[in-house]
Amino acid sequence: ATLCFQAFLQMCNLPVRVVCRANAEYMSPSGKLPFIHVGNQVVSELGPIVQFVKAKGHSLSDGLDEVQKAEMKAYMELVNNMLLTAELYLQWCDDVTVEEITHPRYGSPYPWPLNRILSYQKQWEIRRKMKAIGWAGKSLEQVLEDVDQCCQALSQRLGTQPYFFNKQPTELDALVFGHLFTILTTQLTSDELSEKVKNYSNLIAFCRRIEQQYFEGHDKDSSASATSRSAKRSLLK
Amino acid sequence: EVPILISEDTVISQPAKILNFLRKQKYNADYELSAKQGADTLAYIALLEEKLLPALLHTFWVEAENYCSVTKPWFASRIPFPLSLYLPGKMSREALNRILLTRGVPPLYSLTEVEAQIYRDAKECLNLLSKRLGTSQFFFGNTPSTLDAFVFGFLAPLYKVCFPRIQLQEHLKQLPNLCRFCDDILSCYFRLAVSGHSPAGQDTVDANLQKLTQLVNKESNLIEKMDDNLRKSPQHPPRKLTTLKLATGGEESSPLNRLSP
Repeated sequence: ATLCFQAFLQMCNLPVRVVCRANAEYMSPSGKLPFIHVGNQVVSELGPIVQFVKAKGHSLSDGLDEVQKAEMKAYMELVNNMLLTAELYLQWCDDVTVEEITHPRYGSPYPWPLNRILSYQKQWEIRRKMKAIGWAGKSLEQVLEDVDQCCQALSQRLGTQPYFFNKQPTELDALVFGHLFTILTTQLTSDELSEKVKNYSNLIAFCRRIEQQYFEGHDKDSSASATSRSAKRSLLK
Repeated sequence: EVPILISEDTVISQPAKILNFLRKQKYNADYELSAKQGADTLAYIALLEEKLLPALLHTFWVEAENYCSVTKPWFASRIPFPLSLYLPGKMSREALNRILLTRGVPPLYSLTEVEAQIYRDAKECLNLLSKRLGTSQFFFGNTPSTLDAFVFGFLAPLYKVCFPRIQLQEHLKQLPNLCRFCDDILSCYFRLAVSGHSPAGQDTVDANLQKLTQLVNKESNLIEKMDDNLRKSPQHPPRKLTTLKLATGGEESSPLNRLSP
């Protein structure tokens, strides 16, 4: 998720420095990461950050008409609904991934037994949420199917354009880039998730293009979060 | 679990599975959509579920006056005893649970703040839908598609049910193209009397309950209606509103039979 913000801020031409903190979740006003610290203001989550940046005179979606803005918001919800939930499912509901990757990583800043307690607590919280929205009964195959459907929709919407709304990047591009890049570069127990994304060549090209344009030459710090993914590798090989 | 589709010996629940089943039988309302329009369908459905659904759940199941005077009696009257004593309460608790788990995160700590936020989101969602629909008859031109069915499914109960607490309904009524959209589908596919006036007095509750009974199964009914129309010419695109022939009587089977606890 940090990457979405970095991409968004880079696209707005705003300089940003990423910093790591173990207590990042507690520093954030909403408990969610990442957040930005500007002067004496602290703002978290994509929606409020976009509003904040807009209030300061920067916006990526001013050139869109009303129908396009509606479309952009719909696609952002699709990404949140499917991709983000699938990422959470994989991280916290797939037993293999949970044991081998999530628990160690989430609990790493803390001493035993706090590391186990906190990560179990988080897992329980996420599983409750999954149950409420009807994802608890899904199998891994079904989740991967959903991811595939989402990627197909994104791929069809993108078509051969450089960005989702043709020549200029918008919040949607930042959001999609953040999620897809993370999926493609994070080490998991199997490659099934990233393989789903790799089926769509225009999405891969899209990620490469944004990486080259906005991240070349910038330091790739790991995100400011105890729950962050492992250090990002470049897509350019 | 509702809705349920019963076809010969097969019983299918959940909207996504019902749609898949129908597509396998070669009935597809999205036959003429382009790939991009298909993608848009998915995106708008996600928008409805994320932004509109919490407020709808709240209006029906959590808002105390609405739940006690409309939703609970109606559901209880259609569910056999003794489930009628237990199920509505369970559904209400599940609705509140879902709202709080998905939207009740810091810095929104109190239910009032969560409620304010979900209604703001729902109003924004209605505005977006209205802008997207514009002056078209349906979301993708002159023929209905899956997206139209989904939007109708979310909007129609909100539009038609007479609740005591109606802030979201008031907002919807200020968007004439969405109201017209609901009315068109109702008059064409459900043959209900399209009227904004409900009979006064004792009959009001009965009339509302009857309307709601028919509306709550609209999703499976709408799909089956399209099913019936398409059965006469499989693989053909859905017919336009003006040329739709009303089938002979007996086709409109009671939706009560389909309701399953």
